[in-house]
Amino acid sequence: MNYQWNWSFFLDTAMSSDETYLDWLISGLGWTVAIAISAWIIALVLGSIIGTLRTAPNKLLATLANAWVETFRNVPILVQLFLWFFVFPELLPRELSLWVKQDMPAKEFFTATIALGLFTSARVAEQVRAGIQSLPRGQRNAGLALGFTQAQTYRFVVLPMAFRIIIPPLTSEFMNAFKNSAVAFAIGVMDLTFVSRQIVEESGHVIESLLAATLLYFLCAFLANRIMVFIERRVRVPGFIIAK
Amino acid sequence: MLSNFDFSVIPVSLPFIWEGLLYSFKLTITAMCGGIILGTLLALARLSGGPVLSRFAAAYVDTLRSIPLLMVILWFFFLIPLVTGKPMGAENSALITFTLFEAAFYSEIMRAGIQSIPKGQVNAGYAVGMTYWQTMGNVVLPQAFRNMLPVLLTQTIILFQDTSLVYAIGAKDLLKAAENTGKNYNRPVEMYVFSALIYFIICFSLSMLVKRLQKRIAIIR
Amino acid sequence: MIDIKNVSKWYGNFKVLTDCTTNVAKGEVVVVCGPSGSGKSTLIKCVNALEPIQQGQIIVDGTTVSDPKTNLPKLRARVGMVFQHFELFPHMSITQNLAIGQIKVLGRSKDEAIERGIKLLDRVGLKAHANKFPGELSGGQQQRVAIARALSMDPICMLFDEPTSALDPEMINEVLDVMVELAQEGMTMMVVTHEMGFARKVAHRVVFMDAGQIVEDAKKDDFFGKPRSERAQQFLSKILSH
Repeated sequence: MNYQWNWSFFLDTAMSSDETYLDWLISGLGWTVAIAISAWIIALVLGSIIGTLRTAPNKLLATLANAWVETFRNVPILVQLFLWFFVFPELLPRELSLWVKQDMPAKEFFTATIALGLFTSARVAEQVRAGIQSLPRGQRNAGLALGFTQAQTYRFVVLPMAFRIIIPPLTSEFMNAFKNSAVAFAIGVMDLTFVSRQIVEESGHVIESLLAATLLYFLCAFLANRIMVFIERRVRVPGFIIAK
Repeated sequence: MLSNFDFSVIPVSLPFIWEGLLYSFKLTITAMCGGIILGTLLALARLSGGPVLSRFAAAYVDTLRSIPLLMVILWFFFLIPLVTGKPMGAENSALITFTLFEAAFYSEIMRAGIQSIPKGQVNAGYAVGMTYWQTMGNVVLPQAFRNMLPVLLTQTIILFQDTSLVYAIGAKDLLKAAENTGKNYNRPVEMYVFSALIYFIICFSLSMLVKRLQKRIAIIR
Repeated sequence: MIDIKNVSKWYGNFKVLTDCTTNVAKGEVVVVCGPSGSGKSTLIKCVNALEPIQQGQIIVDGTTVSDPKTNLPKLRARVGMVFQHFELFPHMSITQNLAIGQIKVLGRSKDEAIERGIKLLDRVGLKAHANKFPGELSGGQQQRVAIARALSMDPICMLFDEPTSALDPEMINEVLDVMVELAQEGMTMMVVTHEMGFARKVAHRVVFMDAGQIVEDAKKDDFFGKPRSERAQQFLSKILSH
């Protein structure tokens, strides 16, 4: 295989616009980070609530929460994205539907963020449930015995410990959010995957383009990991070994 | 609203959907079998190979686990023709990609499984005179595999969902078949809903199966 | 039969065995005792090379264990071993546990292996449990199966690594009875154990270890009569007082 390496082409102006390929890469990275982080915030908030509800004494709430998790876990993220993009607007009242289809600003970005956020929320909820259930039963009883309500027991006794326990699996879910955000290209978000494909097609420099995008994904995953490790250290409970 | 939907397209689409679904299954099963075999070898290399071999296995697994599958699909799709000099169909390219990619994930599962077997079991195998491979093959791997069966199946459910990503290179799987039929009969919305339903039914039943397995498998010790 | 000469072993910088020398003659029963962490379990694992040694020599029936050219599986097949935690293979039935080594290592036919296995199972009084799985047996029963598994390989000598210390008190005797019977038949045995009653009954020699060293290596009667070292005296008075 004799391949003509050329790294300087990134500074060339792209054929279909007046920006350089490097500009494309940077803006692609921006969209990837924006989607992954916004989706992660949605996932963390929803996932914590739903995961907690799954362990709640109220049967109806627990069942609903379980249904949420099963629904979002058992359909591929790409298909969910298409459902939000093509199908969801059809279910809205006529005027709203038209606005979503025609005038909504940054429609692709919001759709991708919501789809990824809900998809990830189911996985976060699963971890939160596992974390809560891994605590000894005595903990909850001790809280109730002190006179806490159910809610107070969760707030002051159960959740603080459960969240510390599940930081390692949450770390990989956070990294997954970056990786899964790559599906956004399919509805036209110009994220890293989208631009790397575009650069390959326009410039023909296959390896350099894919390598650059891959390294940037690496960087994202690495930084996500560092952030979570930092949090893990900050909230560590002395004398308590968090199992990896 | 819902009244605008016309689900009469579904019976018409069935032959196309079936063909797409078959490819999705083929991709899943190939990548599962190949991935588990390759993954087990990688896990063994990582745990008991020499320094070079174990470092190679670790690098392989860690690299593939930290980049999006979509990027890996693109890598292989563009690179294979560069290496071999002739284009390879999207379908075959995906078969290779998924096997190599999933091996990294199955490898981590098998590694955890192997490490969950107490050292005493390995010693007992050696003590009756078995070689390394005999001990692995007769004592450690059967137990590791059995303990990890639910996790391996869960990974396979994820793998089945991930096959939808071959969309990026135009391979004709279930999702692509649904989309094409939707376009041909001008009923894209209905076809997306239908494909989502098929994915859900398959994945949900499999995950129920895994739950039942998990209860039964609590290994007799 | 087993010759241990000036053996030293380190875990990293930590020295677990220091210059250990002892031997077990053919037909002899040697009990190794000492406080926990004294290195006795490590020493017995060195005999069939489950643990490597860094210095010295161990010779089993004329074969140098630490020689890199030694075919370890072949050597281990001739040395039976019984573990503290039994280590039966949980995914195989009792019969399969007894047959697997004979089939895979000795190359016996399946029928032959099963026949021999059942015979040994009868000998340890568990013939009725042949088709059960290890998890369905009590600890004492599992350990008897483990002894039968070691015997199924027709070993020239047997190593016991604390065979009763993971057992409930009421199960210890059923295992010890099997071991006493073996000893009386003239099996060469090296036994790491705290069961001094067993040592008194069948041991020829007692080796006392402390902090990775062999402190005392004496005839049974000498050891129980008047141990020379102070550490052994202390150990004996503690262990015999209850």
